[in-house]
Parts: sequence; structure tokens; C-alpha cells
Amino acid sequence: MDPLSSMWETVPPATPDDLAGARRRLLEGMRTRRRRVVTVPRLLVVAGVVTAAVVTPLIAGTGTSAYAVIERPDGTIAVTVNELRDPEGLAAELAAVGVKADITFLEPRTRCAVPRFESVDGAYGGPPLSKEELMRETRRWRSVKATRPISVREIGILPEHIGPDETLVLEFRDNQNADVPWTMGAWLARSGTPVHPCDRVPA
Amino acid sequence: MTIPREVEADDATLIERSLNEPELFAVLFDRHAPLLHRYAARRLGAGEAEDVVADTFLAAFQHRGDYDRGRSDARPWLYGIASNLIGKRRRTEQSLYRAYIRSGVHPAETPGRQVEDGLNTLAVNRPLARALLRLKPDDRSVLLLVAWAELSYQEVADALAIPPGTVASRLNRARNQIRQALGQGE
Repeated sequence: MDPLSSMWETVPPATPDDLAGARRRLLEGMRTRRRRVVTVPRLLVVAGVVTAAVVTPLIAGTGTSAYAVIERPDGTIAVTVNELRDPEGLAAELAAVGVKADITFLEPRTRCAVPRFESVDGAYGGPPLSKEELMRETRRWRSVKATRPISVREIGILPEHIGPDETLVLEFRDNQNADVPWTMGAWLARSGTPVHPCDRVPA
Repeated sequence: MTIPREVEADDATLIERSLNEPELFAVLFDRHAPLLHRYAARRLGAGEAEDVVADTFLAAFQHRGDYDRGRSDARPWLYGIASNLIGKRRRTEQSLYRAYIRSGVHPAETPGRQVEDGLNTLAVNRPLARALLRLKPDDRSVLLLVAWAELSYQEVADALAIPPGTVASRLNRARNQIRQALGQGE
């Protein structure tokens, strides 16, 4: 390594505590940018939401330190995954809040052999797509709409995109990176069709 | 053929989705802020680095509609914004180098090296700090984006919106000055 690259290399990457102030400023800035002129009807709606937030318990579920399932007042479900262990326990917690899920935690550089299930859309299956096609299609796939990242350890589940008796299939893979601890694939399996156990193969 | 697509969001996808779901932009922060803060802290110290990180992501959020979605990695974009913000704090950066030359202590560095290590490091870092202090600001930005942020020539060109040839000439000039400073063993 050349002397300049190693100069002051012991300056550490910032921790979440170091970044808490900057993150808060970003979130506040994001809210400010979205603020609009408040008309009377909008004010009433906002007031209603605030009331609902106050009277609804923020944490409807429970969880171990490995993961947590939180039912939010807006109907979405926040899932925090700190450690890739006890997938059955996480699936049970999701079942308790009304989400039928199949959870797999994968070792680094592994994946589940395909096919494991029949998907509701082209997110799992179908011909190879170019990047442009993929960007276009992802806007339509319910498999993509049903989950969204919230932070590097947290996803949101949007039950309105999950049909009756469909299974949310989640495969988390250990990313071997403390900053981005896992990557995830999320798909919806057709109603009334089985999801087979994961047969681990090299990724 | 079954293709399980892990649509787990490269930076470009996240930025695009954040146009309709703004809160997703916080994921980009979690992903890149720790190392961006480290880069800024090496140049300005930890206190200023926090401001640079916050201002970088706020500016990025404001202009995310202009992001080139063909670029899956947002680091050049973010480091380019940060470079501009650091450039506006030139005196703070120069003060940090001068203070280091005097005291041998960087305010954001983790202490705990062996004394002998520390002396060897100082013997190299002092002339480096002097050389960085003397570089033209534009040359210093290019040099440190390569050495500390580990961007490629093309990524630096993207970050600073300059041609790759300009990156190469600035880098060459800066490296010559660094070599001279080390060779003179000031």
C-alpha cells in the first residue's frame, strides 16, 4: 500500500451513533421538502393520522434480538433482521400478524436451487431480461411491491399486495459485511401451490 | 428456465424508487454514510465531517430526480457532492494539516499505536501533510478521491464532472509533488 493510501487509515468508518445527527437532519429535510400548503381538509386528515398513531400501539408483535416484527398503524409490517437465525420463529411471528411466509437464511455465496415454487409473476421465472426491461417490469410485479427496504437491516411488508393464501417467499443471504449484513430475494408464490424446502447450492 | 431475480435494489433502483417512496432514500444513507464520513473526517476532522455527510445527502435527495439511472453505484455522485462541500471548507482542511504538522495528532484518528509505529508513521505523514497543504485544491480532490475514497479514474471523472484525461493529468501532477515531498524527507 502506498504511503498516502495508508495515511490516517486508522480513522474509523462512522458508527450509527456518529451518524445519528446527520441521519436525523436528512429525515427532517426529507419531510420539509414534502411539506405542502395545508388546506383545511388536509389538516383534518393529518390530525386524524396523528390521533391514530397516538392510540395505536407501535409494537404489536414481539421478537427476539435476532429479529423483530412490528405492525405499523398504516397497515405495513416492519421486519428487522439482526441475525440470520430461527427462520421458523420469524415465519411464525409473521403468521401471527396475518402474513403467510416461507423464510430461508442462506450462508454466504449460496442460493436455493430453482424452482422451489410457482410465482405469481415474472420476478421468479420467465426469460432473461435486459436491465431496461427489468426496470420496467419491476414496476408491475407484485412480488416487488409486496416488500420494500427500509434500512440495511429492515424491510417493510405491504400486505395489500399479497393475495389470499399466497405465500411470501423470503430468502436472506449472509453478505459478510457488517454495514450491509444481508441481501434478500422476495417473491410471491401462487395461492394453493406448495413452496418446497430450500436445497442449498453454490450461488 | 426459472430465474429468481433478487431485485434487492442497487443504488440506481433505490434512488428511482425513492421518487415515489422518499423514505427509501434513508437506505442509501445507511449504505454509504459510514465511509463517506470517514473520507470527510480524514480531510476535515469528525465534527465537520458530520455536517458534510448531512449536507451531501440532503443535496442528493433534492436532486435525485436528475440521477443517471444507468449508474448502479451512487458513490461517484455522492463523493462528487461531498467534494464540492469540502472545497468550501478549504481553510478548515488547511488548518487540520497545519495542526497535524505541529502536533503529530489527527483529531479523528483512533489512538493506540505502538510508540515506535507512531514515530515511523509521523516520519512519513508529516511530509505528506505538508505536501497536501501545498497542492492546488483541484489536484488534492482528485488525488484523495483515488487514494482515500478508492474511486477509479472514470469514477473520479464522473464525480467531478471532468474528462478522464483531466483526472489523469491532475493525478500525475499531484503524485509528483507527493513523491518529491517524500524524497526530500522534510
